Amino acid sequence: MKCISAAALSKAYGDTRAVDRIDLNVEPGQAFGFLGSNGAGKSTTIKMLTTLIRPTSGSLNILGVDALREPLRVRRRIGVVLQQPSYEPTLSVERSLTKYGMMWGVPGDESRRRAERLMRDFGLADLRKKRNEDLSIGQRRRVQVAREFMHDMDLLFLDEPTVGLDPAARRELLDYLKEKAASGLTIFYTTHILSEADYLCDNIAIIQKGRILASDTPAALKKRLGRQKTITLRTNADDQTVATALAGIPDCVVQTGMGASITIESAKPEHILMEVLSRLRKNGIKMREISAEAATLEDIFLETIRDASGSETG
Amino acid sequence: MHPVLRLVNRNLTVSLNPGFLIWQVLFPLIYIFVVGFAYTSLIPGVTYNGEHVTYPAFLATGMIGFNIMNSTLVSGLIIWNDRRHGMFEQIMSGPYTRMQYVLANICTIGTVGMISAGLIVGVGYPVFQESAEFTIYTIPLIVFAAVTGSVLFGSLASIISTRLTSSEGFNVVINTTFIFLAFASTAFYPAEGAPEGLGAAFYFNPLTYIVDAIRAGIFGGITQAVFVEMAALSAIAATLFVVAAKMMTKVDL
Ligand SMILES: Nc1ncnc2c1ncn2[C@@H]1O[C@H](COP(=O)(O)OP(=O)(O)O)[C@@H](O)[C@H]1O
Ligand SMILES: [Mg+2]
Repeated sequence: MKCISAAALSKAYGDTRAVDRIDLNVEPGQAFGFLGSNGAGKSTTIKMLTTLIRPTSGSLNILGVDALREPLRVRRRIGVVLQQPSYEPTLSVERSLTKYGMMWGVPGDESRRRAERLMRDFGLADLRKKRNEDLSIGQRRRVQVAREFMHDMDLLFLDEPTVGLDPAARRELLDYLKEKAASGLTIFYTTHILSEADYLCDNIAIIQKGRILASDTPAALKKRLGRQKTITLRTNADDQTVATALAGIPDCVVQTGMGASITIESAKPEHILMEVLSRLRKNGIKMREISAEAATLEDIFLETIRDASGSETG
Repeated sequence: MHPVLRLVNRNLTVSLNPGFLIWQVLFPLIYIFVVGFAYTSLIPGVTYNGEHVTYPAFLATGMIGFNIMNSTLVSGLIIWNDRRHGMFEQIMSGPYTRMQYVLANICTIGTVGMISAGLIVGVGYPVFQESAEFTIYTIPLIVFAAVTGSVLFGSLASIISTRLTSSEGFNVVINTTFIFLAFASTAFYPAEGAPEGLGAAFYFNPLTYIVDAIRAGIFGGITQAVFVEMAALSAIAATLFVVAAKMMTKVDL
């Protein structure tokens, strides 16, 4: 049985085809990444999959249930973290977790236990007595994601959950989700950040203008779409010092000139950059300038779209 | 627990915060014990149903209806707040139907209305007890007026909540409605003494019907007019509830 099985799923708002005949197949236990830039149709898709809105056409089966016929049966078994923040402004962090548990029918003792564990796992223990309205956007987002784990579910939807989180919290969340996926939870995850989908997901579909452009494993997609990215750093130190400091880092070239300039060329330059920066710091080398020629997903899309429309008109 | 009860539980937790409760008691307290008694030098008393009633006693009984309106207009905003803070979508993506959400809101509103009516009865009792003539027949009338009134104002607030999207517009509409309903009613003064047009206008206001019924229940003297008012109140409440429920089930996500 598939966890999500959608065929020719579409949603139109007037003339806008927000989602245009997409097919989706998500296997149990998969972390499925739904990748697309702003306005691509990710949220509309998630709202259809979670039965919040009705598709204009197409068929949809979630966890073996016809989602158009029996939406409530679907909703009882899924968890949903929408893109829009959702919170009870006047409740404390702790209270909003236990109340949410109550709303899902989790017994009081169990609810308190889960809330404790989640506050620990999501770094919310110090904020437990704070009201949601007094939290920062990122903290609130963490509460929103943590809250969804108050109840049991077979399938979890998350719509850009890392927006508003700082890099550390982002990574922690991804690791938490990775662990859940490893223990068998099926996850449907949307993002516009390629590296997130790459890090978390077993399978990725790329959506643009309501249509799925490609769907495959991250490795295969990267081969197809992931052009290499280049990051250039300039330092004040001389070539030799820099070269020695950075010896052994892959995809990283030191060039000579007015102070050494370092070029990283990789599909994943962020990871290498971290290593380069930490070595430079250790060796007391100061950075003068940094520039990135980033081939973000956005760029790839723009290029793909340009190519596509070019071939259509030409 | 039934899904509707779970939602009511959550609604009450969110609605009945200490600030709200203090306000619900403090405001009428000031009204009854400061305004009510301060005005006794101007208003020696009110003739109600042929009997003399002190102004604070008159006001205290009016404040019961006023407080029901005040609290249920606020708790009718549940859907407004839920939409603003994303909780409406969140709940609708959970194990609930729209109808359950609507029912839970109405139950919450009714409960809040009863609680705030009870608070004023408690607070105002010493003031009106001298003129009070409760009987077993009048208490159901008071409860009926309180619940029907709660549904009416809760539905009204829900309708405003679903129709308006901007905070500014919403605040203007809610506050204007509130002020008009509160002051063009018999809550603070009897209709008989008011200039003719104004006194008549009081009777286009459901708060008047609630207040009249509650006063009749407390001071005795249930007249035919009160039954007419109760019938009108029920009809308006039922209509507004149906409209509110329709609108809430149609809110876009
Ligand atoms: N309620 C709506 N009414 C009209 N257009 C909408 C509505 N929701 C989304 N859209 C449009 O549908 C397209 C896809 O939006 P969305 O699914 O939110 O994209 P994403 O989540 O990928 O950023 C956009 O062009 C957006 O403007
Ligand atoms: Mg979106």
